Amino acid sequence: MNSSSISTALPNKARSDKKLPGDLAMWFFILAELTVFAIFFIGFAVNEQLNEVMFSQGKAQLHQTSGLINTIALITSSYFVALALSAMHRAQAKKSVLLLLTAKFFAVIYICVKVWEYTSLFDQGITIETNTFFTLYFLITAFHLMHVLLGMVILAFIAHSAWTNKYQHNDLSAFEAGTSYWHMVDLLWIILFPLIYVI
Amino acid sequence: MQNNSIVNAATKSWLVLIVLSVIAISLSEFIDNRSLYIISALIIVVIKGQQIVDVFMELKTAPKFWRVLFLSYIALLPLIITVIYLS
Repeated sequence: MNSSSISTALPNKARSDKKLPGDLAMWFFILAELTVFAIFFIGFAVNEQLNEVMFSQGKAQLHQTSGLINTIALITSSYFVALALSAMHRAQAKKSVLLLLTAKFFAVIYICVKVWEYTSLFDQGITIETNTFFTLYFLITAFHLMHVLLGMVILAFIAHSAWTNKYQHNDLSAFEAGTSYWHMVDLLWIILFPLIYVI
Repeated sequence: MQNNSIVNAATKSWLVLIVLSVIAISLSEFIDNRSLYIISALIIVVIKGQQIVDVFMELKTAPKFWRVLFLSYIALLPLIITVIYLS
C-alpha cells in the first residue's frame, strides 16, 4: 500500500469507527421523550413568569436537599450503568450485572426519596389541585418517576440477559439501547432539578 | 486499554456532575442578582448535560449528526428557559 492509498484509507476508517450505540429506533424514541419533556419545561417556565409569587411560594415548600439527594442518586446510578456497559465490552457479563444491580440500588434511593417527598407534601394538605405550581410539579416529577420505573424494568431485563449470556458475538446493541435510555432519564433530571427546585 | 480510558472518563464525569450539582444548589449563597443566578444555574445545566451526552451516552464517538443533535438540545433548552425567565 503506497502513501496515497493510506491517506485516503485513514479518513474512511475513522468514519467507520463512529458508531451510534444501541438501536437507531431507541435514539428516535429518546428524542421523542426529550421533546415531550422540553414542552413541559418550557410550559413550567412560562407559567412561572405569569405567576411569580405563587411559584416562589411553591418552591419554598419543596425540600431542596431531597432534590439534591435524588440528583446524586441518579448521577451515581447512571455512572454505574456506564461502568456496566464498559464491563460488557470487556466480556465481563457477571461483573456487568453486579454494576447494574448497584445502579438499580441508587434508583431505589431516588424512588424512596421521591415517595417521602410526595408523602410529606400530602401530609401538609398539598395535592395536584392546590395550585398551578403544584399541578405542574406533580405532573412533571411523576411523569419523570414513571420513566425511572420503566428504566428500572429495562435495566432488569438487560441484567437478566447478560446473566444468561444472551449477548453473543459482541452484539451489544440491545444492552446499549437500555443503557442509553437510562442516561436519558438522568439527562432529564439534570434539567428538571434546577428548574423546579433551584431557580 | 480503550475500556480503561472509558472508565476513567466516566469517573471524572461523575465527579464533575456531583460537584456541579452541589454548586448549583449553593448558588443562592453566593449570587444575589437574580438574572446572574438564573444564567449561572443554567450554564451548569449545559455543562452537566454535555458530560452525560458525551461520556455516559458515548455520543462523543458517535456520528456527528447525533452528537450535534443532543448537544443542541442540551444547549438550546436552557437558553430558551433563560430567555423566558429574563424577559
